[in-house]
Amino acid sequence: MSYNLLKGKRGIIFGALDENSIAWKTAERAHEEGAKFVLTNAPVALRMGTIKSLAEKTNSEVIAADATKIEDLENLIEKSEEILGGKLDFVLHSIGMSINVRKGKHYTDQNYDWTHKGLDVSAMSFHKLMQTLYKKDAMNEWGSIVALTYMAAQRVFPDYNDMADNKAYLESVARSFGYFFGKDKKVRVNTISQSPTPTSAGQGVKGFTGFMNYAEKMSPLGNATALECADYTLTLFSDLTKKVTLQNLFHDGGFSNMGVSQEIMEAMED
Amino acid sequence: MSDIASRVKAIIVDKLGVDENEVVTEASFTNDLGADSLDTVELIMEFEKEFDIQIPDDQAENISTVGQAVSYIEEAKK
Repeated sequence: MSYNLLKGKRGIIFGALDENSIAWKTAERAHEEGAKFVLTNAPVALRMGTIKSLAEKTNSEVIAADATKIEDLENLIEKSEEILGGKLDFVLHSIGMSINVRKGKHYTDQNYDWTHKGLDVSAMSFHKLMQTLYKKDAMNEWGSIVALTYMAAQRVFPDYNDMADNKAYLESVARSFGYFFGKDKKVRVNTISQSPTPTSAGQGVKGFTGFMNYAEKMSPLGNATALECADYTLTLFSDLTKKVTLQNLFHDGGFSNMGVSQEIMEAMED
Repeated sequence: MSDIASRVKAIIVDKLGVDENEVVTEASFTNDLGADSLDTVELIMEFEKEFDIQIPDDQAENISTVGQAVSYIEEAKK
């Protein structure tokens, strides 16, 4: 269903790997809501995934960019403004990767080269992206920047490993840069803290199914899906949320404020 | 060992963070060397860059061991 929420708006969407990706759903929904956008991902992710079909479906162009490289980000932003015909109204950062997680390296036994790489890809890239947008004055007033995060930034989820630290950094950058973006350019910056979602990235986390089922049973509304996250993201890109900024917004069916639920109690009594 | 084989080996050691001794001809990237799906695509892209060749996706799918990578590249460089 379309509400024309993003009619005439221009943006960049990072991280649509395949149809399970939250960024993929966001692109599909943004297209339905009337937005024009450029899709981007790292060259290796473009090759691995199926982004071409999304680009066709949404009449978008794909520009490869390694979000850890300033020159790639500069090129992406310049080209996007050209293709879309003006400054940007929204940007979605939906990328993250931990080599320690991928290689099953325990949190207490990290390979710090991998930790650095993961921090750069998952968190510092958000600062690099915003700094490039800011310096290029590429955002329209009342534009909106969103990054996706997870509650392991606040609470302990042992198997989330160094991604927990990356998400904490990401959320802090959203606030710190969000101040300057708000003050100087009237642009808002928020993070969405989403339920565990069965994407390629999510499924890389050890014990993911148990983790997801637990959250499902704990949340009064159940886990939020990728499509529901896309819908929520669109509201933040729309003009209906102009004064929402510097926030970490939980989109998790209520999980983050729960202590225990009936279902969990019953499961423990068995 | 051929020049190509030693360069392939060096890329694998660097990308997968494995010990040189593990990178034998029969070693499978995923089963023996701990590569995940992202690693295997990264390896293919590194081979392309290092040897200045293009490896189409349908052929990349058939490269799953060290030996297969070496023979593919040797053939492509002929």
